Amino acid sequence: MDFSVESWAPEYGSSINLPSAEDADDQADATVERPLDAWTPIDPAPTAAPDEIAFIDGIQRIDARIWIHENGISTPAVCVSLAAGATVCAPGTATTHGVLVVRSLIAPASSTAGPIVTRHATYEFVPAQDTTPEATYLAIHGRRTELEIGVARSVTSSLIVFDGPLRGQSDRQSVGYIKTHHKIYLPDEVQAILGILDDGQRTPLLFLSGGPGAGRWSWYLRLPGRRVHPMSGIVRLELPGTGTVGEAVCRAETVSACLPRFASESHKEARAPQNLYPISGIERELRRRLGDALLLERALRVAARPLV
Amino acid sequence: MLGTDDSTPLEFWVAVANGQHLQLDDIIALDRVLPTGDTVSIYGIVGQVRARHEGARFDSDVFLIADGVLPADVSEAAQIQVTRVVPETFVPPLPGAEVRKAVGPERDEALDMAEVEHRLPAGLTRDGQPVMLDLEFIDGTKGAHVNISGISGVATKTSYATFLLYSLFNSGVLGAAAANTKGLIFNVKGEDLLFLDHANTRIDETERARYAELGLAAGPFRSMRALAPPRKGDPNGTPATGARTTGVRPLYWTVAQFCEQGLLPFLFADAEDERQQYTIVVQSVTAQLQRCAKQSYTADGAVRIDGRTARTFSQLVSIVCDKLLPQDPDEEADPQWTGRSIYTGTINAFVRRLSSAERHVAHLVRADIDDAETHAIDLDSQQVTVVDLHMLHDRAKRFVVGVVLRQAFEAKEAAGTAEPLQFVVLDELNKYAPRDSSSPIKEILLDVAERGRSLGMILIGAQQTASEVERRVVSNSAVRVVGRLDAAEAGREQYGFLPAVQRQRATILKPGSMFVSQPRLPVPVLLEFPFPAWATRVAEADLSGGAGDGPADRPADPFDGLV
Repeated sequence: MDFSVESWAPEYGSSINLPSAEDADDQADATVERPLDAWTPIDPAPTAAPDEIAFIDGIQRIDARIWIHENGISTPAVCVSLAAGATVCAPGTATTHGVLVVRSLIAPASSTAGPIVTRHATYEFVPAQDTTPEATYLAIHGRRTELEIGVARSVTSSLIVFDGPLRGQSDRQSVGYIKTHHKIYLPDEVQAILGILDDGQRTPLLFLSGGPGAGRWSWYLRLPGRRVHPMSGIVRLELPGTGTVGEAVCRAETVSACLPRFASESHKEARAPQNLYPISGIERELRRRLGDALLLERALRVAARPLV
Repeated sequence: MLGTDDSTPLEFWVAVANGQHLQLDDIIALDRVLPTGDTVSIYGIVGQVRARHEGARFDSDVFLIADGVLPADVSEAAQIQVTRVVPETFVPPLPGAEVRKAVGPERDEALDMAEVEHRLPAGLTRDGQPVMLDLEFIDGTKGAHVNISGISGVATKTSYATFLLYSLFNSGVLGAAAANTKGLIFNVKGEDLLFLDHANTRIDETERARYAELGLAAGPFRSMRALAPPRKGDPNGTPATGARTTGVRPLYWTVAQFCEQGLLPFLFADAEDERQQYTIVVQSVTAQLQRCAKQSYTADGAVRIDGRTARTFSQLVSIVCDKLLPQDPDEEADPQWTGRSIYTGTINAFVRRLSSAERHVAHLVRADIDDAETHAIDLDSQQVTVVDLHMLHDRAKRFVVGVVLRQAFEAKEAAGTAEPLQFVVLDELNKYAPRDSSSPIKEILLDVAERGRSLGMILIGAQQTASEVERRVVSNSAVRVVGRLDAAEAGREQYGFLPAVQRQRATILKPGSMFVSQPRLPVPVLLEFPFPAWATRVAEADLSGGAGDGPADRPADPFDGLV
């Protein structure tokens, strides 16, 4: 396979409008736990605490943008490094667990792309639908989700927190943790509750249908931290939409009680308090495991065959 | 071998794997295969160890990590100071190379002991392995002299000096010459060294085992003679020692010896004397006394000077004073005695100084004891001669040290051969060879330091502060030893042979631990020497026929009280 590396730094041209994590088609039922007129902030009263919590996250980095040359036609593609891993928190210890690192060549399925072998890494071919930024992003994201699920399988904790929505996962232990809100699922008449949630309080449950899988249980939680606007420290959580309301409420109580302890502080974490310490820790570790970007880019340039 | 710090042929860092540990002073080895196919072995000593959290960015992250909220790893690393590179191809070790602890023959290789023929046991590393010195750097073949620095009380300088002597005499390193090799020890403080020939009752099996590890049998010095100044005012000249009553011979010179050997200048050996003008008077008086002594030989050691007999030092002083300052104001002083000095002030100063010495040395220079000649100082009769100075005034100390050293040095000069060796242990070098003044004693010490190597006179010198001792005396010592140092002192250039970490550590060394720097190794080695197997005070002495104290009152720190 003939290819050459774009001489521009890989950051250029990467501004893609990411598809929203919340699907606009989702239907929210806010009356599953209590009727709308009974919505008040809830102080979680958990019945049991998990002895071990795993936080799972994944990251990606575009190492280089390349051109694949074939019969006089050049096709754009990207070389990307992906990593996923978990921080497993038990009382007194937090350890990094099950880190997976892969390097992928994202190129249209129609191209003749094959793996790129460089001195320091091998980029395996991952097909994308076409060459549009959205397709590329989806391919990267799909690969990353695979990695995160792979990590989750290696973890035995009874509570597994994914950084981001559940994306159709239905394992009982899984919890989706969403810190950016593109859409508020609450009906207008109860939205004001978010502003009056106190540290550690949660809203009643919603049921979200639509999207992949059997729907999700969801609720909002306020993490402790400085409050500069009504949405400060608000996160949304998701549970797989299985089981009864009672079970979901019980689970929500447990999760809501566990998380505030991990909330970060703004001088240590740019996305405080929502970016939890264990997640920020695993992100830093993953970024380190991705290796040196310049070194990898140079290796790619060396591996590219010069065009005659 | 880690790759986040620069690796150089002289210093590098190694990462310590989980479940392993390295501590200060561990000895390690690693190999590097060169592109040519040759293997370079690099040996080193752990100079520093560190541990840190990886993954923590803020100091306070440690609370989150300890709480199990933030993930982090603990990384441990050790800094290696290279001792040897074999063969001498100075390439840096490569990151990722496997490092191993050096044991057995590899350890010898690391300490450059493999090819040393004559090994002098010098002490044990903290893990109980013997450390050897190359005798050739002590006996004068390639170098000579040992210099020991350290603060009083905890540095155990004298103890280490005597341990080295013991090791020299008893390890067999000197071969057949050991029997004739002599040691001369000046005892400056307490009666510490007067019981060298008595076994120490406080030594236990653990310490014996440590001696055995060094190839030594724990025991006292076999042959020793103590010399002590006579009691003041005692007409019989009984040695003035406190606890030790037997085997001590009095230390004094007859008036005739004093005059004939020209010992007068040693009374003027203070820094104060150096600034005075009366050196010329000292010289002429010395010459006159020598002349008189030669003319008037008497069996009892008295000297007749122009019709007057000097049997005691006081009489001698009074005769000399009369010569210099005649009673009759009209009479001129004898220019043969005063020298060319025409200033009465200068002569007065000399007389004052001489008279003030009288009180301190009168009992050391005398001819009022029968068969004085038999008491001549004999450094060869026993293997170790201890000269006890601790009861003497500073001026008298200087006098005795100067005179005895000169006698020993002249004997070696006359003998003309280096063998058998004469070892001299002298503490408080800063007093006898101060950095910025000169005196007759300093001249002799310099002679010993610079020519002693070829003459076979080896100085084991000690001082609290090497910075206050004449540079040439220290720099001529092949082996440098450092015990506990004062923090300010440790920073001085005289300790340039100690790398920064060792300097820092020198300020917290415990008694019985020393850094030993030897020419074969670029890095000083920390070693411990066993508790003395000989008594260092009367309470420890196994007095034959006497009641030896049991080990009941063993102190918590075995080096407690040692100097």
